Amino acid sequence: MPVRVVESSAPSQVSGASTGHALPPACTLLSVGQAFAGTQNVSSVQKDEAWKVNVRIQGCDLDHGYLCGTMEALNVPLADTPVVTFWEGEVVDTKNYTFFTGKWEATPEDDIRHWSKFPSFVPLLSQVEVDGGKSVDLSSYPYIFMRWKEQYFVNVGIDCGLTIAGFYYVCFSCVDGIIHGYYYDPNSSPFQKLELKSSNEGRSGFSFSSYQLQ
Amino acid sequence: MPTSSSASTPAATANRPEFLISYLKSEQQGEVKLKTLREVKNQIIGNRTKKISYIKLGAVPKIVEILASAHDSDLSILVQSAATIGSFACGVDAGVKAVLDSGAFPHLIRLLSHSDDKVVDAGARSLKMIFQSKLAPKYDFHKDENMTFLLSLLNSENENVTELGASIITHSCETSGEQKALCEAGTLRRLVMLLEGSLNQREASLDSLAAIIKNNPEVISKFVGLDSGRALKSVTELMKDRYPRTRLLASVCLIVIGRTSPCYLQDIGLRTKLIMLLIELLEEPGRVGDEVPFALAGLIADNEDLQKLAFEVNALDKLCNFLHRDMILAKQLEGLLLAIAELCSRLEICRERFLSLQALKLVTSTLTHDCAEVRTAACICMQSVTRSVKNLSAGHFLTDTMVTPLVQLLHGPPISLQVAALKTISNVVVNFTNRKSIFIQCGGLKELVQLSKSMDSTLRLNSVWALRNLMFLTENSNKERILLELTASTLTSLICDPEPFVQEQALALVRNLVDGGINSIEHVFIEGGVVVNAVGRQVRSASKSEVCIQGMYVFSNISTGSELHKEAVMHQLLPEADGGAQSVIMKFLQCSDNQLRVATIWCVVNLTYPGSPGSSARVTRLRDYGIISQVKSMVNDPCLDAKVVIVHVLKSIHHSSCIISVLRTIIQHVVLQFRVKTVLEQCTVFSDAAA
Repeated sequence: MPVRVVESSAPSQVSGASTGHALPPACTLLSVGQAFAGTQNVSSVQKDEAWKVNVRIQGCDLDHGYLCGTMEALNVPLADTPVVTFWEGEVVDTKNYTFFTGKWEATPEDDIRHWSKFPSFVPLLSQVEVDGGKSVDLSSYPYIFMRWKEQYFVNVGIDCGLTIAGFYYVCFSCVDGIIHGYYYDPNSSPFQKLELKSSNEGRSGFSFSSYQLQ
Repeated sequence: MPTSSSASTPAATANRPEFLISYLKSEQQGEVKLKTLREVKNQIIGNRTKKISYIKLGAVPKIVEILASAHDSDLSILVQSAATIGSFACGVDAGVKAVLDSGAFPHLIRLLSHSDDKVVDAGARSLKMIFQSKLAPKYDFHKDENMTFLLSLLNSENENVTELGASIITHSCETSGEQKALCEAGTLRRLVMLLEGSLNQREASLDSLAAIIKNNPEVISKFVGLDSGRALKSVTELMKDRYPRTRLLASVCLIVIGRTSPCYLQDIGLRTKLIMLLIELLEEPGRVGDEVPFALAGLIADNEDLQKLAFEVNALDKLCNFLHRDMILAKQLEGLLLAIAELCSRLEICRERFLSLQALKLVTSTLTHDCAEVRTAACICMQSVTRSVKNLSAGHFLTDTMVTPLVQLLHGPPISLQVAALKTISNVVVNFTNRKSIFIQCGGLKELVQLSKSMDSTLRLNSVWALRNLMFLTENSNKERILLELTASTLTSLICDPEPFVQEQALALVRNLVDGGINSIEHVFIEGGVVVNAVGRQVRSASKSEVCIQGMYVFSNISTGSELHKEAVMHQLLPEADGGAQSVIMKFLQCSDNQLRVATIWCVVNLTYPGSPGSSARVTRLRDYGIISQVKSMVNDPCLDAKVVIVHVLKSIHHSSCIISVLRTIIQHVVLQFRVKTVLEQCTVFSDAAA
């Protein structure tokens, strides 16, 4: 979800790939087509503020630690319509990506500080401090850690007065389908919290659509 | 000096094909025949039009007759007639056909045992020309006398004869049985020796070595072990040969080895050299330049590491640069498109680069190329590029310019082209913007529906696949249009198709159709519920898990609807009378397929979803069939996804306080398992370090 522009920054292209472990568990609640709804807290010193957010997963390729989708911010003060962005996610699988970001102006200290906000990360902390978590096997862990980076605005121009320079540290709980995230951008308010719940979009149950690329 | 166009000089008249053919008649004197043969040969060398014109006038049978009736001592006649026959067979299929139809083959074989070297040379060269064509007869290596004859050719002192032997292998060796027979007969050793011979022998030998070892690990291991690895070393050395074609053929041999037995092509330096060499050879004119992109495509196919390597040495940029050139022959263009397709098949970074090079427009323009092979390769290339979800999401592919020519290709033939177009369309229609109607409006939907009724199962599979992706997350008005065009009756036939792959895609299509609320779900209850009944029949009777998984997601999605919808699912999944029959739900909950268990548990979640008036009655009925106790017994299911979905079932059937406790237990159990595992791993590390 975009935030107000303070100062723009260009992300570097360092890859965080390494070789190693089995992939995180496949989870139906995090599959293509699934929708999530919730809020992002964008409070600043001046005022408390939270924007409603909808997320839809559009692509998932766990072999490459890849996830993508759209994020829709509903009550953005400066915008006439909901603002939709496309984001790409790096799944921390210790094969393609570790807990260390290695780009987007995030130092290992920034990484640890943000990941530690998730209680489910605490059991992993000591190992991650050593090597970014390269030797941790997350294949049966009921939480999936990710970084979501918005790539472009889908329905508004880049001159909309909003920025997508930062990225989110994300933790998805396979058990209840809840997503927690913290937005990181050195030029924005720290620890803007994202909270999303798996949404059944008014249906009497959970519905699953699917596509398959050839 | 200019002359009148209507008047021909006597000399010109004498050299006209009709005139020359009259001189080929057997009653002519030997000297006249010889002169005529020379003249015909000189006229047709490298001239396809002349060859065709002589063939039409019946020249070939006359020349074969001269060869057949010539005496062993008529050296010049034998040489000239054989050479002329060879020239007809060179590069023109109609010529090969005419030569074979005229019965030239045994007469040319006879020449190989002639005492005069020139006659032997002429016979061998002509036969070589024939064996370079696909129309040549297949040589049976399993006959002892044939293998003996082939070995005699390979062992001959005559260069042309050894090349002929190698050409026969290249042309006829196809099955693993033939490869084994040739290997056991000792041909590998002889062919490796020929690598040290003349340029032609080297090239013929490399060609036939590739044919003998292709896709055969057993033969490859024998080849690699020959002379303590010297054979492989010789081929590797030939990558540095001064002749481009030799370098290419040596590379092809190594590619064949690497694809089947990657252990022999592990050296990253060698792999990089191979890629660099092929890229360098792209610039070569003629046959080498035409064949190189195919070799490159073969090298990197299905190998992400090699694709990365090729990308890093700028292979994609170089391939795309060729597309910008004006005069590219069809063969080379086809190869270039296939090589680009392989590069973009897995790596998003390659697709991004391809799009930034503005190459999509060029590839799209080749969708209307005259040559069907080029059109097919263009589709395959676009299929790879359109795997980019980022660009699909941005709606970059679903445009009139791209979709219209793709839809045109669906008219076919050939089937391979229709299939390639369908696969690309399958990707393109996964569009997350509201542009799916572009595809429908340009006639794409009509074509897909037509092809879904095809007799050919591959066409049915891929058209239903495209319809499934078109149905994904589309608005209800589009769903209505798709269903109206497809009809409930065709959809029912597809669900019950004889091919399980088609059934699976058809059910996935229905799954997407009923995802989207009550209005969407209603679509499967039209015409007396033929569609939902077909899904039920298939789920109850299918043996393939993939089919059952899609079927269970159909029912799971229907179960998110109204009471009537949920009851209809209960009716489909639970046996009518309680005669002790096991319900299909129970069968799937106990199966070993993780995905099928998960799909089934989701269906149970939705059937018992809190807030629906009939939920508690359904829980009771499911309990009566033992399903609830089965679900409860699965809290420690080995599949994490199944385990967590069970939480949702329990949530539906118990009080929330109870579920919180279950939830806590599960999380604690999983985290504890994780901690124990980590501690054990650390212990192992410490004990290893201590040791």
